[in-house]
Amino acid sequence: MESGLTSLLSVSIDFETSHLFFPRIIHWIMAVLFVIILATKTIPFLAAVKRGERTLPILGESMDGFRFFGTLALIVAYFYLMAVVGNLFPYTGYGFLFVSMVFVLLMSLMYMHEWTKKGVIIVVINAIVAPSLVWFILAKLFKITLP
Amino acid sequence: MEFLSLLDVSFFLLAGFGALVGIIFGAIPGMTATMAVAVCLPLTYALGLHHGLALLLGLYVGGISGGMVPAVLLNIPGTPSSITTTFDGYPMARKGEGERALRVSVIASVIGGLISAAVLFLFAPLLADFSIKFSYVEKFLIILLALSVIASLSSNMLVGIFSGVIGIWLSLIGTYSISDGGNGHTRLMFDFMEPYLFEGFSLLPVLIGIFGISTILLESEKGVKNELSDERVKLGKGSHFSFSIFKGRLTNLVRSSFIGTFVGMLPGVGGSAASVLAYTQEKNLSRDSSEMGKGAPQGLIASESANNALTGGALIPLLSLGIPGDSTTAVLIGAFTLQGIQVGPLFIPENTDTWYIMMTALVFANFVMFFVMFYAIKHIAKVVMVPKHILYPLIVMMCVVGGYAINYGIMFDVWTLLIFGVLGYLIQKIGLEVAPLIIGFILGSQAEVYFVKSLESAGTLSIFFTKSPIAVVLWLLIVASVVFSIVLSLKSRAKRRQNSSADPDPV
Amino acid sequence: MSMSSIYKTLGTSVLVAGMAFGSAAAMAADGPLRGNVRVVIGSTSTGGDTYQNSSIVVDALAEKLDLNMKVDAVGASSAFRTLDRDSRGNTLMIFHDQSYLGYLYGVEGYEDIFEKYTIGPTVAINPGNAYLVPKDSPYQTLGDVIEAAGNGQEVRVAIQPGGVSEIGFSALKNAVAIEHPGMEDNLVAVNTGSQADKNQQLFDDQADMINGTVQANEQYTRLPADDQKAMRFLWLTARNSTIEQAPEEGLGQTTREQLLEYVEPNVSVTMGGDENFTFDKEFFFLYNKDMDPAIVEQIDEALSEIYAEGDIQETQKNSFFIPNFKPSDEASEYLAEKMSRYEGIIDNIK
Repeated sequence: MESGLTSLLSVSIDFETSHLFFPRIIHWIMAVLFVIILATKTIPFLAAVKRGERTLPILGESMDGFRFFGTLALIVAYFYLMAVVGNLFPYTGYGFLFVSMVFVLLMSLMYMHEWTKKGVIIVVINAIVAPSLVWFILAKLFKITLP
Repeated sequence: MEFLSLLDVSFFLLAGFGALVGIIFGAIPGMTATMAVAVCLPLTYALGLHHGLALLLGLYVGGISGGMVPAVLLNIPGTPSSITTTFDGYPMARKGEGERALRVSVIASVIGGLISAAVLFLFAPLLADFSIKFSYVEKFLIILLALSVIASLSSNMLVGIFSGVIGIWLSLIGTYSISDGGNGHTRLMFDFMEPYLFEGFSLLPVLIGIFGISTILLESEKGVKNELSDERVKLGKGSHFSFSIFKGRLTNLVRSSFIGTFVGMLPGVGGSAASVLAYTQEKNLSRDSSEMGKGAPQGLIASESANNALTGGALIPLLSLGIPGDSTTAVLIGAFTLQGIQVGPLFIPENTDTWYIMMTALVFANFVMFFVMFYAIKHIAKVVMVPKHILYPLIVMMCVVGGYAINYGIMFDVWTLLIFGVLGYLIQKIGLEVAPLIIGFILGSQAEVYFVKSLESAGTLSIFFTKSPIAVVLWLLIVASVVFSIVLSLKSRAKRRQNSSADPDPV
Repeated sequence: MSMSSIYKTLGTSVLVAGMAFGSAAAMAADGPLRGNVRVVIGSTSTGGDTYQNSSIVVDALAEKLDLNMKVDAVGASSAFRTLDRDSRGNTLMIFHDQSYLGYLYGVEGYEDIFEKYTIGPTVAINPGNAYLVPKDSPYQTLGDVIEAAGNGQEVRVAIQPGGVSEIGFSALKNAVAIEHPGMEDNLVAVNTGSQADKNQQLFDDQADMINGTVQANEQYTRLPADDQKAMRFLWLTARNSTIEQAPEEGLGQTTREQLLEYVEPNVSVTMGGDENFTFDKEFFFLYNKDMDPAIVEQIDEALSEIYAEGDIQETQKNSFFIPNFKPSDEASEYLAEKMSRYEGIIDNIK
């Protein structure tokens, strides 16, 4: 009996494949939990959607499409252009500095609901001052590498 | 008391200045204590060892504490160890109690910091000997104990555990790192991803992506309206901070401080596990923990006292074994080597003056941190009044800086922000839970290393039970934690059924 | 606006920081290398030897060339990738023997550096690579270890696989194979991670010997024998001539003379024939293959001048590095030869 238990608990791990040992365990746990959740939560939920009692997440909700997709597009452009511009001036942080100014300005304008003269001026000043300050402190004073 | 002659005004000024700069670093989402220490490390050349240490220890204490600010006000953990601060801090801020939450956190922080400093001072060599009793097996069990918080933290246990496992899965992407003793092979990805994901997703960009960027996406979807912030400020007038919050919380405070110190002292475990573990224990042991996660000050007390207690804890193995307890102390080693001073088991007996100097700086920095934060809070808390169209672009910008700088300039870390921002958005939309997922992510890779390495050397699962008395105690704690969370969830389910008004989760 | 209070705080700190830091703005210099230069290193630690050594060299170089240069601890895989993308000379890399040992051990992410990059000058040696046993270990010398393994006794050695930490172990295994053919598998690698992990294996009695360094383990060797943590050096892999150049006071309380007891010929690990194995961890530059050769020359020249002045050697020795400047051509040839010798060992024990 004792030896049966011992052999049941014994595990030998080959170093060459040890990188897959733990992920395999996690995959099993994930699969089992997923099936349980599918059966106990998702299917009843979908049934409720069909009956019209609930709505699907994301698809069935109302959203501010302009601001949501605008945010996504701006962030993607920001990240991408930062590296591109930064590459023109290697390791000066100018990529971060200039692209951040444009990004902060555009995002602020997009999120602003009423464009008043005073509001726009504040936004413009902020878009120029904030990235410059960050750039100066981090890239110049602390010599942190920025894009 | 010969070391007193080494202290001068500039010593205290540097420690204070360090604490101040550290707080600013910690308070900016994405900037961490580690980064603050790393960028100021070259200065120690010019300053000399003792003054350099004053500055660096100030930065360390300040940086760890500053993390609470964005955690409470913006729901973005400023440093990974303030993750549990967001659980109760942000709900409080939403109720208009941001200022109160910050004050509670500051007090908890300073007490945690001072308790750990005292422990460091009195018991460092003794504890170092104790800490080497913790091998892979015991460390795995500690991680498991911390992971068990997932069960009690989630609003639906099944979904919460599932989210936690997804978090663990995400943390395994990349190589099974050679620097942890792995075989260096990549897994869980396609070949074309290898150039980017070789080292996996790094923690900080994941955190600020999933908290910062996804919050902004969720807000943008709702049109970024400003009403909420006015509401918050109005409500803020109603709830005043008073020390009575701490009534009956002494046990929590002391327990969490000791947990923080203790976890900080285990090399490799350190960091974020400390506050998670303290939070777990408060949730399990306190009688009135059902409000935790919805804006209970006791959660802040547990989280913040533990994460500041890390500072003293992580210095224990550094100064008495020569081994850093967390990532910041790993950088701190550089300050010693730059000066040609070895850290190791003989550091304290051979460098008594430096040792006393460090203790002075550590304690002083804690006080500076306290006074700066406690009195600046009123102004800091006004961040929530900044109109969102100004605040949000700046948050994105700072997240970028932090993400890019955390590994000294890697562009993929910036993209990680977006990937996890979108993922965080989707997760919340389909009803999975963020907090368990992120805890799984933080602890996942350590769990793997300790688990696999334990089995590799022992060759049998029974090692986890028979290794040592410490292992048995840890098992008891794990079992207690799991049983407790099951009981809690059954209770709350019964309550919900009585009210029968609550909506089930849309999964 | 309430941001102003934040700005005010930031502003104040800028002022104070500005005073503390001074300003070091350098304009474009005359040579082919211009603009800001980033030196990536193969380690992610800013407390480790690679960073420390690189910053000593890069600081001196930046001053000499009057350029802004910055060391970034991005880690091996990211460093190689960053270097791959930039042939302008704004990105340089400093790493050590791991760069080709990783390739020899077949670690993912490492390629043949001699083919893929231009090898730059070597700058220094870290002579500290060491093997240690518990103070109460039955093995008094490294010879005892080889003997024990040769006689069928299992000896477990804690190392970090795939590089600098493993090469000494491989050489030892090779020596057992030569002296006691067929018995080399008695030398067992316990694959583990950081120095903390390796020490822990020794404390847990999961290993009989560990790889370590003079710098990190010297204090452990001075603990009283009844301390569980006490260790003893058995072997330093450095060449005798390398340790000879160390400061006379050695490191901590261990003098150069004491350290010399643990290097060849006092401790010898055969490589076959009458050749003994030695390993010095050497730091050198790596350049993008397409980088302007004029830059290679410029850096060689600048470093020659720096080393001729002699101050850098003092700084390096103070941090327990052994200065070892070789200009690019010489370094490239030397390192290629070094790699082929270790290739032989690794092939031999496969």
